[in-house]
Amino acid sequence: MTIFTIDEVKKTFINGEVKEQVLKGINLSLHQGEITALVGASGSGKSTILTIAAGLQRATDGQVLFNKKNMTDMSQEQIRKIRASEFGFVFQSSHLVPFLTVEEQLMLMLDVSGTKMKKKEQKVEVAKILKLIDMDHRRDAYPASLSGGEKQRVAIARAIIHKPKMLFADEPTASLDSKRSKDVMTLIRELTKTLSITTLMVTHDEEMLSYADHVITMKDGLIL
Amino acid sequence: MNIAWKEIKKSKAKFIILGSIIFLVSFLTFIISGLANGLSQDNAALIKDLPDGQFYMNDDANETYNLSKIDESTQDKVLNDQKDAAAFSIQMGFVNDAEDKQHSVAFVTSTDSRLFEKVGEGEIVLDRSLEEDGIKVGDTITNNQFSGEFTVKGFVDQKKYSHAPVAYINMENYKEIYGVDEMQLVFVAGQEKGPDIAGLQSFSSKEFFNTIPSYSAEQMSLNMIVWFLVVISGMLFAIFFYMMNVQKIGLYGILKALGVKTSRLFGMMWSQMLFITVIALTLSVALSQGFTMIAPEGMPFSLTLQTTVQLSIIFVIIGFVGATLSGIQIKKVEPLQAIQQGEV
Repeated sequence: MTIFTIDEVKKTFINGEVKEQVLKGINLSLHQGEITALVGASGSGKSTILTIAAGLQRATDGQVLFNKKNMTDMSQEQIRKIRASEFGFVFQSSHLVPFLTVEEQLMLMLDVSGTKMKKKEQKVEVAKILKLIDMDHRRDAYPASLSGGEKQRVAIARAIIHKPKMLFADEPTASLDSKRSKDVMTLIRELTKTLSITTLMVTHDEEMLSYADHVITMKDGLIL
Repeated sequence: MNIAWKEIKKSKAKFIILGSIIFLVSFLTFIISGLANGLSQDNAALIKDLPDGQFYMNDDANETYNLSKIDESTQDKVLNDQKDAAAFSIQMGFVNDAEDKQHSVAFVTSTDSRLFEKVGEGEIVLDRSLEEDGIKVGDTITNNQFSGEFTVKGFVDQKKYSHAPVAYINMENYKEIYGVDEMQLVFVAGQEKGPDIAGLQSFSSKEFFNTIPSYSAEQMSLNMIVWFLVVISGMLFAIFFYMMNVQKIGLYGILKALGVKTSRLFGMMWSQMLFITVIALTLSVALSQGFTMIAPEGMPFSLTLQTTVQLSIIFVIIGFVGATLSGIQIKKVEPLQAIQQGEV
């Protein structure tokens, strides 16, 4: 079932008098529970399309449809609500909140997403997901004391704890070594399949493509 | 989840430094304000302690009470017409104690009134600061322009004028010392706007303070220092909150990307600002009130709890405005920009 559609999306950046079109009409359909990987050289526009799809920036032209609703017509507040409750994000850096423990990072996300859970229920939910990512022993640790791989696992847990419909991952393994990259990708695949989360992922690492259901290659703002 | 409190708990050093700055600046402001009030009290306690009312001096005195001479018939008419009125004079002078030590005083004399000390001829009532200089009740005091001697009848608390202790004397003795028959001023108590009296110019208490030589200049300078400190503190608050926000811009961006409302981020900043400011100001108020108890005897220092609370409210408002202005960056920050900047 198609859950997300990108229809003739174009993006032009204007820098002074210089206009640069980085997306020249992208069409893409994402199906529920599947992982789609975007690959391509630097400057091909793959990160731009990911951030437009994730509601972090707007397209110059075209439509972005999530659950058949056109996000391009929505207000900032409507997009924020979707980001908080329906989307999950994993970035190249883990971007954890430095003054929150692992458990608090996840509870904050439950809070932000608007789930009407009591604190006790939130703790149970967090304990479940920490067990799933094998981080329950680091529940009270702050980000500064976590390794790169651990941080990224917590970031993945934060992205999916509120059971989003979409997961957007921008080079999630870029800061990790080969073994940890495989561990993280295995985790993303397992979790998204278990929870039926649709994933759009940008990567430049060919080894990671084996974890995706579909691979889309981009070049110069177009899908090949 | 209270993320504001979580951050304070985790970044204690940062918040302690910010709190210390607020504490030090507000404490300095309170102390300067205490000194300003103390000097003001030292300069004009005699007048400040009078109830609300109107002062009169004659029209051609050029708003200088020293030059004022109120005609006896006008004075009698006012005192007869107004229930709570008194005519009085103030002149700076000297007295010599039993050991011939000279003391600077402000001689005050008045018509019969509950507002001023009643003293008989040859008697003198002094401000208590002279008791601390060794003068006792019953001592004999002299003045080189007075043919007789004064006997100290008693002391009064906190009666100063132009930084000198007040010496209440009888009107007849005053007339002999200064060779004048007329009083300088008439005071009518209990009236916000006094009656118009032919030949006399009226002054409210506030207006009258400005006619006291050096009072307005001194107070203006001190008040200027206090308000400069308040303004500088406000700017310091704004700068520190700005720096704190700049440091956290990446974090705000990530939180926004995750879907945290901008209003919640403002709430986080305001509650942190309020928490630090209230603790710092409470400490500052407590310490400055403590200082009023241990301030050296001779130091003119007067700081009421009311003054410190009023200044504290101003500090909280300034802190709030400063934090809010610096928080405009929170509104401006783009989640995407923060993500691209890397780890927070």
